[in-house]
Amino acid sequence: MNKSFSDTLLHARTGPMTDELVLRPAAFGLGHVPSRLEPVATTTSVCGYCSTGCGLKIHLNAQGEAINLTADPAYPVNLGMACPKGWEALTPLAASDRATAPLVRDRHARNPTAFTPVSWPSALSAFTRNFKRIQRDHGPHAVAVLSTGQIVTEEMALLGAVAKFGLGLLHVDSNTRQCMATSHVAYKQSFGFDAPPYTYADFEESDALIFIGANPCIAHPIMWQRVMRNQRSPDIVVIDPRATETAQAATFHIPARPKSDLTLLYGIAHLLIAQDAVNHAFVAAHTTGFEAFAAFVGEFTPERVSAEAGVSVETLQRLVSIIARRERVSFWWTMGVNQSHEATRTAQAIINLALMTGNIGRPGTGANSITGQCNAMGSRLFGNATSLMGGYDFAEAGDREHVADILGIPTPAIPDRPGLAYDQILDAIDRGEIRGLWVIATNTAHSWINQSRARAILAKLDYLVVQDMYATTETAQLADLVLPAAGWGEKEGIFINSERRLGLARKVARAPGQALSDFAIFKLVADAWGCGAMFHAWRTPEATFQLMKELTRGQPCDFSGIRDYAHIEAEGGIQWPYPAGTLVSSATARPTADDLAEEIASETNVIAPGPNQNHDRERRLFADGRFFTADERARFFFDAPRPMPEPPDTAYPFILLTGRGSSAQWHTGSRTDKSAVLRKLAPTVLTLEIHPDDAIRLKIVPGAAVRVQSRRGSADAIALVTPTVQRGQVFLPMHFGTVNQLTFASFDPHSRQPSYKCCAVTVTAIP
Amino acid sequence: MVASRENFPLLAELLAEQQQLDTPVARFSTAHDALLQTARLNVPLHRAAPLLPQLIPLTAPSPGEHYAFEVDLDSCTGCKSCVSACHSLNGLDGNETWRDIGLLVGGDSAQPFTQTITTACHHCADPACLNGCPVLAYEKDPVTGVVVHLDDQCIGCSYCVLKCPYDVPKYSQRLGIVRKCDLCHTRLSAGEAPACAQACPTHAIRIVNVTVSRSANGSERLIDSPINAFLPGAPDPAYTQPTTRYLTQRLIPANVAAADAQTLRPQPSHWPLAVMLPLLGAAVGLSTLASLAPHFPTDFPFRATSVGNADLRSSTFAAHLKLAALLIGAAGLAASVLHLGQPLRAWRIFLGWRKSWLSREAMMFGAWFAAAIAAIFFDGLNATAATLGGLALACSAMVYIDTRRTFWRAAETFPRILGTAVLVPLALVTPSVAAVALLAKLAWEARSVFGPGVSARLQRGPLARAVAFRMALGLSAALLLVVTPGWIALVVLLAGELAERTLFFRAVDAPKMPGMPA
Repeated sequence: MNKSFSDTLLHARTGPMTDELVLRPAAFGLGHVPSRLEPVATTTSVCGYCSTGCGLKIHLNAQGEAINLTADPAYPVNLGMACPKGWEALTPLAASDRATAPLVRDRHARNPTAFTPVSWPSALSAFTRNFKRIQRDHGPHAVAVLSTGQIVTEEMALLGAVAKFGLGLLHVDSNTRQCMATSHVAYKQSFGFDAPPYTYADFEESDALIFIGANPCIAHPIMWQRVMRNQRSPDIVVIDPRATETAQAATFHIPARPKSDLTLLYGIAHLLIAQDAVNHAFVAAHTTGFEAFAAFVGEFTPERVSAEAGVSVETLQRLVSIIARRERVSFWWTMGVNQSHEATRTAQAIINLALMTGNIGRPGTGANSITGQCNAMGSRLFGNATSLMGGYDFAEAGDREHVADILGIPTPAIPDRPGLAYDQILDAIDRGEIRGLWVIATNTAHSWINQSRARAILAKLDYLVVQDMYATTETAQLADLVLPAAGWGEKEGIFINSERRLGLARKVARAPGQALSDFAIFKLVADAWGCGAMFHAWRTPEATFQLMKELTRGQPCDFSGIRDYAHIEAEGGIQWPYPAGTLVSSATARPTADDLAEEIASETNVIAPGPNQNHDRERRLFADGRFFTADERARFFFDAPRPMPEPPDTAYPFILLTGRGSSAQWHTGSRTDKSAVLRKLAPTVLTLEIHPDDAIRLKIVPGAAVRVQSRRGSADAIALVTPTVQRGQVFLPMHFGTVNQLTFASFDPHSRQPSYKCCAVTVTAIP
Repeated sequence: MVASRENFPLLAELLAEQQQLDTPVARFSTAHDALLQTARLNVPLHRAAPLLPQLIPLTAPSPGEHYAFEVDLDSCTGCKSCVSACHSLNGLDGNETWRDIGLLVGGDSAQPFTQTITTACHHCADPACLNGCPVLAYEKDPVTGVVVHLDDQCIGCSYCVLKCPYDVPKYSQRLGIVRKCDLCHTRLSAGEAPACAQACPTHAIRIVNVTVSRSANGSERLIDSPINAFLPGAPDPAYTQPTTRYLTQRLIPANVAAADAQTLRPQPSHWPLAVMLPLLGAAVGLSTLASLAPHFPTDFPFRATSVGNADLRSSTFAAHLKLAALLIGAAGLAASVLHLGQPLRAWRIFLGWRKSWLSREAMMFGAWFAAAIAAIFFDGLNATAATLGGLALACSAMVYIDTRRTFWRAAETFPRILGTAVLVPLALVTPSVAAVALLAKLAWEARSVFGPGVSARLQRGPLARAVAFRMALGLSAALLLVVTPGWIALVVLLAGELAERTLFFRAVDAPKMPGMPA
């Protein structure tokens, strides 16, 4: 570097601004990092957005504070990759609108929308005073809870316990009702337990992957990464009304009509039976009710199905031939199935296909529900909503006694029936039966279906408490009391991902101001209420984890063999079941360098995953064909399809589909909108996807302003004219507040999950 | 029932605990232990190894080769991790991104087509940013071809932002400079893939070597790239020779367009420039008039009716006019400095004179100003000052013409920039002729409002009020010049020119890579 003096004078190749961007090699296997963000240490944490459950390597400064993060290459889920939400996971913590103190709003004050910060003691007093008054005047069940799939399992369990066993509430539900209730019910009925049977390796080991109502390229990009690693030349089939990113990346897209999937799936079953592609041995040995199912689908002839689903008979035949021909067929579904008026039976129609063809329990097979939220699975097991925590039954006296025994609480404290579902809680508020509501980490005033009615109902409450990271969510803005919560990254606990893997979320940032972890808030509420002693054993999240272990002992979801958090971290997450006595082949014995070299050199591991660590780390259920029903046989469930609740007509001629807009957006945007980077990765205004022919007819040019109206409300958007939607259908991303002004509130009768994805609308150009 | 308590012994404990983090010292050893263990447990180590494609070339570029991005569109499914990984791994500011995302849309119901486009700096073979930079703050690495921006050299003039047809350099308000992608050349030199390539879950982004040839004038051309097929919806690659390759096996439908192709984006007004240009135009025009006036024939029919009916040929008038021109010129030059994010570094502005019209403009105006001062004392320098002023204004026009933006082509730019320099002195000498000339200029400007082009649609749409304002000022000035020529008419004329120049900046078409809808 012997630059001449004049060159140095004239060309400032170094200096403070240049230094800002200098990269330096870092320790911890990180490669180069910005020198001003060089970590002193790293720790790992599971991401807090979706159910993929990616491992993130958090970079820490000398104070132990997170300063940056990278995707963890050693975590078996994501193999060093993350979606943009994961990369930006720390940003929303630093948002300027974090709630930093409890806030109260006086509805009778001169300015009824203004919040006043108060101390925790007075906030807790207000909480107990108001809710106890409601209970005194209207009965103990006049206060209800709406919780979330976004907090750690320990917090869910503590909330469920405090609310039901301590506060004496009955109606506790959560936003997992909006995403996973269907899979929960479908699995429970078909398999005898809510048990997604797969492991992510199945994406790689499948010969044919059938995606129904799923768009993993956008909604679960890291799962799609696993699909792309598949070396078996797989058939990738996507059944979706839209030509989504996933549909275009697939080998075969079936653009079935919205809400025709149940008919379509029965038609596939019909053809499989007709072609004798049924695995009779498996059906005979491991299932019950196939004959009735076979008789039922007899009427779903290819001609009928073709007419109703809007796909050709050849298309049906081609799909059937793929399922019949390929050895390992896996079926995957997400919200396109779960958010439907006949969701549970649709999910079970998928399960039925896997059962009848014996595509379950083997690598690359399964009827596999891809979960939504990071801890929907934790909520399903420990939310204490529909099921008694630990996967038990409120109605079973024995179960209540067992749980009370483990928790050291009196059995009568446990209600003998499940509470109301989300929609039923809102109806009960509407009727005046429920007067107080405690909302935790969810955004009802944005996300619930048919928003104008939902907001009218919330306005009827005597007292609304919202516990959230932000006082600015649409729901918090309606609250009488806002409790400031610490978010992901500011507390620790377990998330359970789609493949039943328990992963550890770490505390790597300080919560702002007086914000407290949800765990601490629940403890304080119990204390203030006067039932704190009941939860003495729930000292810390990790102590709670030990209680949860005990609850699962002997259950299908048994993870009593997990030692502690450190064990989970060392293993890179642990899938349930993991009962005590599970052979822990790796975590206890630290390998030597020779072991490593030998294992990496060993070719046998590559070809046939034998009884080694890899096998242990990626485990699927039902390899032995024994299900969790009393007779260990899976069941076939089916019902006649019903027409869509609000079909299009001349006044409202379009079917409105809703769904994920982009990988950079999460739900109501309360977190993702806080990241300037994420905001650049998706349109910042509501965008309506409409077919070119419809656009021409309605004189809508690309980028033009349009108004979408349903019988319930209106939303303004700009037009994205694209043939990826079919004629007569339009699509809106769900992340914008106006979209649920349009949606039509109908529910699956079994899961009570709202049917977000189809209602009738009209579209007009705004001049 | 137990009464609620006002004291919560647990509270203090929980609040304190909430603020407690693991100490890194404890964590330090964990990180290492975990690394060893996970190395053994890690599935991808043996299963992924054969799958992992080569993300960077095995060798550094040979002579005649450069590094380039290669994007496999068929593998890109729109997760956009590349943008945020680049942001985090390069330590960029909160709202700063060096990658952008776009969408192509087309096809029909039988073959619907959408494609996410990820785009960063194309490290062009003939970079417009580099060619336009007045202080040589861009360098093209002779070995790797990486177009590097020297952050401590940059004066924050933003000319590269106008020059780059791909909207790559981004101005940082915090730093007062632009920054952009450097292809992670530090990582590349250590055999590590750039952040975006590392982070792509489907390995859609790679670094490859591309072949370039050097022409006699030193600029480089890509020789083995099908540049006509760079990317549909992207600006013409012939201009700067972007090295990025977009690969696909899919048939791209003929009707494919960027999702934001129809989006109208009014551009920044660059108000210091919108002030500077008319002021300097007026100053050059007036100082030239001052040097010409004494030589007017004695029977010259006009007097400076606008300004106290002064005798045009008197030396007092010339001296006053020269002084006024200097003051206006100084104000214009001062305004130009306000456009710089780092004015203290601007002394290097002569460095880029070989290629940069901005460098030439700055030098010419500097020379004109010096000559104009000298001409106050030495009438012999009048012609020199006038010539330099004219050249400076021509350089001004070339600054914009050289961006190759449609609205800034010569036919639009020269009449505007030179128009002010003619109109202002004309308004002094012969207001009615000036009024006619102004009407002609207005008519010329009005042509640009009609037609299907971006600038026309901008002026009819979001900028319609600004157009109306400009026209109203212009017509008022013309009317005043005829009815009551004087100071007011002059001021209104100049105000109209300022409004015109603001529109010149706001209504320009700004080429860019395909973007998101809206």
